[in-house]
Amino acid sequence: MAAARYTRATLVRELGFVAVAAIFCVPFYLLVAIALETTAQADTTPLAFPRPPHFGNFSTAWRTGGQFGLGHALQSSLIITVSSVAGLIVLGSLCAYTIARRKSRLSDVVYILFVLAIILPFQLAIIPLFVELRHLGLVGNYAGMIVLNIGLLMPLTVFLYTGFIRALPRDYEEAARVDGARLLRTYARIVFPLLRPITGTAAVLLAVIVWNEFFVALIFLAGSRYQTLPVALYTFAGDYTARWNLVFAGVAIAIAPLLGFFVFAQRELIRGFTAGVKG
Amino acid sequence: MTAGITLSGVGKVYPDGTRAVTALDLQIEPGELMVLVGPSGCGKTTTLRMTAGLEEATEGEIWIGDRLVNALDPRERDVAMVFQNYALYPHMTVFDNIAFPLRAHGLRRDEVRARVQRTATLLGLDGLLERKPRALSGGQRQRVAMGRAIVREPQVFLLDEPLSNLDAKLRTEMRAEIAALQRELRVTTMYVTHDQVEAMTMGTRIAVMRDGMLLQHGAPQVLYDEPDNLLVAAFIGAPVMNLLRGRIERDRNGLTCVLGSGRLPIAPNGSAAELASYAGTDVAVGIRAEHLGEPSAGPSGRPTLQGRVRLVERLGAEQLVQLAVDAAAVTADGGPTESGRTAAITARFDAHAQVTPGELCEVAVATERLHFFDLATRHAIRGRD
Repeated sequence: MAAARYTRATLVRELGFVAVAAIFCVPFYLLVAIALETTAQADTTPLAFPRPPHFGNFSTAWRTGGQFGLGHALQSSLIITVSSVAGLIVLGSLCAYTIARRKSRLSDVVYILFVLAIILPFQLAIIPLFVELRHLGLVGNYAGMIVLNIGLLMPLTVFLYTGFIRALPRDYEEAARVDGARLLRTYARIVFPLLRPITGTAAVLLAVIVWNEFFVALIFLAGSRYQTLPVALYTFAGDYTARWNLVFAGVAIAIAPLLGFFVFAQRELIRGFTAGVKG
Repeated sequence: MTAGITLSGVGKVYPDGTRAVTALDLQIEPGELMVLVGPSGCGKTTTLRMTAGLEEATEGEIWIGDRLVNALDPRERDVAMVFQNYALYPHMTVFDNIAFPLRAHGLRRDEVRARVQRTATLLGLDGLLERKPRALSGGQRQRVAMGRAIVREPQVFLLDEPLSNLDAKLRTEMRAEIAALQRELRVTTMYVTHDQVEAMTMGTRIAVMRDGMLLQHGAPQVLYDEPDNLLVAAFIGAPVMNLLRGRIERDRNGLTCVLGSGRLPIAPNGSAAELASYAGTDVAVGIRAEHLGEPSAGPSGRPTLQGRVRLVERLGAEQLVQLAVDAAAVTADGGPTESGRTAAITARFDAHAQVTPGELCEVAVATERLHFFDLATRHAIRGRD
């Protein structure tokens, strides 16, 4: 077969791919390199890899980042991200299941509203939102942040799940109904497990968004003890505007948990993008 | 205890106005295997799904035993269903699949285990209980689907084309297996298929549907021997019944059926009186292949038709001989076919008869076994017996 032969064209194509991959690696190299440089090196030769590497930046960043150190912010970020994503997956998949399976005009309308909400910038409503949440006692605490994240990301979650559920054969649910399962059991035992590929995709996507979320956290957690990582890094960057080595070390700490989660979940992620359900 | 199913005036109209089933009356006796058969889109699956409770019947009443089930949820109807693609839960093991209906009904853990075990043994699934469906062969999946249906000992089985995903050999095997299982368990069964061979071999009785209407129901042999309707005649039996356009004429010997240049005297049997009123008009004439044979084989003096041999299929035990005769063919709807004035008919010859394609050949007609149908109404023309 001609296609299997390694020709000059193949070589050129491969080199092209390698070049693109290298370009994608440049920011990551900069992140690691600068995080390991002293302040002086970062100012004079930021692009060179430091010799010897200066690991002290990490401990400095860990101790002094944000109001109470990066450790504290990491904890806040973890609590908010895990709770928000879990809430989004449970509520969003249930909601999408109803929208996808009910054959009424209403569910079409609701679906369109959700899609519209993805497009509309929520920032337009930030002031009334803030006033309202403060009345409810949901400003400056975890619960408020979690409710807000769930609300803001629900449209995207519903959109992701609805598309997947619509493509899911109904036979499994009908079999479960005839087998005697009630709605909630059918959902919990049959439907939700079948949604695993899209749940993986949604979990990674939503986790990245919530983890990196800056604007909402800055406003709604202002002055509280529960600063998230992005906000902590921001104050940190403000304190040391000229000391990029410390900022970069902080960023490296901030993305590490997410990177780990992504590697862990990427198999499901790819499956969610490419495959349906195989019986 | 198993219960019968009674469908009384059942109809289904979808919200968009499409009519799937019309005024269906059908009684399935307790313990009986009733096969609903018909071409795709004839309403048979809709009927099954209405009985299961997955579709709402928009007209009529559905009874299971002495309970009117129209308003009941599938869960409350005490039915089990096997789907065309089995719908085995892909993320569960065979054990969990079979156990699912029991757990859904809240059975105790040890009871579940015992009953799944018993069902698995009955179906020969013992070694496969820990496997996932994707690690099973087609026949094994079919068995698991059956297991999930029978484990709960429901009042009624509903089977929706359960063999259509299997290859021909396995289909024949599973056909016998399911029929035997049904006889053993004596559970009332509604079985949907588009395959008339499956219907003939499995059904205690068969109900033939078309365009949402029930055309005829009865024992397989009755449908084969005495189709009420041109559509049933065309659907039941392999090879299909030869259908020709003929003219009924009255002469001094009685009635004669004219098929192109051939003339077949009509035996004075039950249908003769009815047929007399069709004298001078055209009708559809049905002849089964086994009632057309080589002239030397049957009783002597039989009337014959002449045709040119087009094709000889040697099946070992017999030969199917296709001949072109100079008569018009008729479709199952009673209309003409594209072949115009010549029709291809199939005759069943002895395995050792000498026939070669291209030659002119006489076939003897068992005229007492002819079927006549009104071209307009498609109903069989026969005396009321």
